[in-house]
Amino acid sequence: MNTSMQHIENHITTGIPLSDKPKLSARNVDVFYGDKQAIHDVTLDIGANEVIALIGPSGCGKSTFLRTLNRMNDTIDICSIKGEILLDDENIYGPDVDTVPLRARVGMVFQKPNPFPKSIYDNVAYGPRIHGLAQSRVELDETVEKSLQRAGLWNEVKDRLHSPGTGLSGGQQQRLCIARTIAVDPEVILMDEPCSALDPIATAKIEELIDDLREKYTIAIVTHSMQQAARVSQRTAYFHLGQLIEVNPTKQVFTTPQHELTEAYITGRFG
Amino acid sequence: MTDIKKNDSHEKKSNTSTESNTMTTTQLTTREKVELSLGRRRAAETRFRLYGMASVFFGMLCLVVLFTDIASKGTGAFKQTSLTTEIVLDSDYLNLNKESTIDEIRFANFDGLIKRHFAKMLKPKGRSAKRELFKLISPGASWQLQELLLANPDAIDTSVSIELLMDDDVDQWFKHDRELAEGHMNDRLSDQQLVWLNSWIEEGKLDTHFNTLFFTNGDSREPELAGIHGAIKGTLLTLMVTLILSFPIGVAAAIYLEEFAPRNRMTEIVEININNLAAVPSIIFGLLGMAIFINIFGVSRSTPLLGGLVLTLMTLPTIIISARAAIKSVPPSIREAAYGLGASKNQVVFHHVLPLAMPGMLTGTILGMAQALGETAPLLMIGMVAFVVDVPGFINDPSTVLPVQIFLWSDSPERAFLERTSGAILVLLSFLVVMNTTAVILRRRLERRW
Amino acid sequence: MDMNFNQHISQQFNADLEGIRNQMLAMGGLVQRQVADSIEAICSGDTSSADKIIQREDDVDAMEVKIDQECTHILVRRQPAASDLRMVLAVSRVVRDLERMGDEAAKVAIHALEVANGNQAASKMCNQSIHHMGNAVVKMTSDALDAFARHDVKGAIEVVRSDKMVDEQYASAIRELSTYMMEDPRSIGQAINILWILRAIERIGDHARNISEQVIYLVSGTDVRHSSLSEMEEQAQSDLPDNT
Repeated sequence: MNTSMQHIENHITTGIPLSDKPKLSARNVDVFYGDKQAIHDVTLDIGANEVIALIGPSGCGKSTFLRTLNRMNDTIDICSIKGEILLDDENIYGPDVDTVPLRARVGMVFQKPNPFPKSIYDNVAYGPRIHGLAQSRVELDETVEKSLQRAGLWNEVKDRLHSPGTGLSGGQQQRLCIARTIAVDPEVILMDEPCSALDPIATAKIEELIDDLREKYTIAIVTHSMQQAARVSQRTAYFHLGQLIEVNPTKQVFTTPQHELTEAYITGRFG
Repeated sequence: MTDIKKNDSHEKKSNTSTESNTMTTTQLTTREKVELSLGRRRAAETRFRLYGMASVFFGMLCLVVLFTDIASKGTGAFKQTSLTTEIVLDSDYLNLNKESTIDEIRFANFDGLIKRHFAKMLKPKGRSAKRELFKLISPGASWQLQELLLANPDAIDTSVSIELLMDDDVDQWFKHDRELAEGHMNDRLSDQQLVWLNSWIEEGKLDTHFNTLFFTNGDSREPELAGIHGAIKGTLLTLMVTLILSFPIGVAAAIYLEEFAPRNRMTEIVEININNLAAVPSIIFGLLGMAIFINIFGVSRSTPLLGGLVLTLMTLPTIIISARAAIKSVPPSIREAAYGLGASKNQVVFHHVLPLAMPGMLTGTILGMAQALGETAPLLMIGMVAFVVDVPGFINDPSTVLPVQIFLWSDSPERAFLERTSGAILVLLSFLVVMNTTAVILRRRLERRW
Repeated sequence: MDMNFNQHISQQFNADLEGIRNQMLAMGGLVQRQVADSIEAICSGDTSSADKIIQREDDVDAMEVKIDQECTHILVRRQPAASDLRMVLAVSRVVRDLERMGDEAAKVAIHALEVANGNQAASKMCNQSIHHMGNAVVKMTSDALDAFARHDVKGAIEVVRSDKMVDEQYASAIRELSTYMMEDPRSIGQAINILWILRAIERIGDHARNISEQVIYLVSGTDVRHSSLSEMEEQAQSDLPDNT
């Protein structure tokens, strides 16, 4: 398909990119790596307590977009951004915004499980410690237990909280990373292909967990697995060459996508 | 037999089948081509393995030759010939009594007492014979008596049995030459001296003992009195100064360059120059130290402080480079995880990067220290090559270091110093081995998997 | 929408989808012939073909099972989405309708035999209606399959419209039949056979309508089952422009 490799001039996102009760809103966001533009004019709302899946072929900018949402791209020197990203109507790229509290509010889970080479307890306790969230040892213990429970890991690790987090299995490590993220009680959780390194059973557990977490958190998940996007998300956004092509309810995207590029991608006509 | 035949016929069958394949495709099958090239590849592999083994063997051989040479020459340094004799500490001659002060003991004429003792015992005829007799005894013998009396003032006027140090010529003759044939014998000893010595040997008085002085004395002009204590202490003090200065400075510089420095031309120039500094000949650092530390800051010469400063200059690039490599090897996922939780830059560096990079940094530091331990050239420039008898007390006392001591002794004409040179080399090498082993153990211990 | 299967990255996927579609159309061809033959048999009174129709019914059943299995395999292996998913679902539903149409055709043939063996005087009852309705459903069957093959929503809507007419004809034929029965109770036996035939033809029309609804689902993604014709037209109108 020739059109798939070309940039679409003046594309306006198909579907419903806005939300009734937005938690995070991107407005006309452009992202550049040096001279190269990675994201073109993306406008997208992430509604409160919804799971939005960002899908698209490799290099389409979905991960880049995700990382702009908690300013993780700040660590890359050549990366610059235009447009606004509003967290509860406040621009996170505003001049006075500090990334430290921002990242406590917008947590992130990465592709590869990356627990610190410390004990399970210390992994989960790290966030509360650096942000001074717990006043006492007892309170910290409670936070750790609660986070591990919410991540569905408590029963598996409660007897070995002080053994290294790196000794867990891949799926457990990823749930530990999720526990670590929710220990600082964020409002939004960004997940960058959280299951790509996991086996199907571990993946199913994480997906189940995402479903549970939705009650309390707003979640944006980048995934390469369309089935996963279909399973866990309420809305799906399709990115293509740095453009946001289509945003629609997941049910619709996977049965009757509106844009032909979305159709072509999810039916496997290009990758 | 029948089984084998069956197998044979089976093989033939399969052969014919591959042949028929070959016929139809009219060229070699892939399998046959692979088998043809296999021989070549195996031969190349074997050749390469042989080259490797040969070079390793050559290296090992050189090492073994070097070590056996040094060890065979150096072990002698750990033994010293002495004469067991009974000597009366004559209070009249020494002009001492039980209440004498330390100073009085220090100035007493032990030398004369020893000479009188031997003159009485062997009755040499004439002045030259006397002189020959006295030359057999080390000047250190009187010092031995003095020490004995200082330790036990009650021993005055009693007869004490003591192992008197012999002169280095006697020492060398006793350890190496006395079994040799006449012609090859060291001609530093006269016939009369040999007669006395042989008589002592027959009486069982002359023997070798462990050379404690080698480890407790400073340098001396007399080989039998020369020791490495001063040099070892000097080395330790110098390394201490080097470590205290270079480790924090090096690690801090590495962290700054790796984590905080803005990526611009200035940083680049600094980085390039650090890399270049690592390749600068060490004597240049000596010159630099002389120019800056002595001339500008007025640090006194030949002190461990100055040596440490110069060696710090020399080891800094090594430490910075290895520390940066260690920081770079910390997986980015760990940083991301910390940043993602809202850790500040400082927290990321000090909570995560530094602990994970520490084993690599320590290894680099220990290797840098080992390099500094063996360094001579820059220290020659700053006067640590001086003849220092006293053991340094602190970093501002004049001192020397082991490699320089080795260098000094190797220059001395006395044969006994050759032995001591090798002995000191053995000590230095064992230091290096200990340091490198520590580096390996530290790395194993601290290294964590992620 | 461009419905070219050859654009999947997986060639085998292309072949699989192409396969079920072609087999479904082949089955459609067979069923269409069954329907046409049975109508022919009842109209002409030529019972020789009726036996064949009844025999061929087994082939239709076998095809339904086979195509349905292949649909299952595609679902399992490819997890199709969007148009591919709709294609598989539509094929799976259409073959069921086709199989039922085959059943109805066989019913027509069976009752045609009974009519031929029964009271000859009464055998011509409602002949006109049967003829009209029969021809209409044969055409509807073929139009529905064409619409499927060409992804033709308009054609599909035409079929739905025709089905409405067939339903009306069926109602009037029933009224006609009841007058016959009231006039002459001896003809009731034949009349019931005729009733069964009319009923079967009407059902065939309904199934053709179902197929057309699947065409609309396939092309536009909207499920128009159980909705009225006007609603259907509205849906098709609103969906179409987005997809072109």
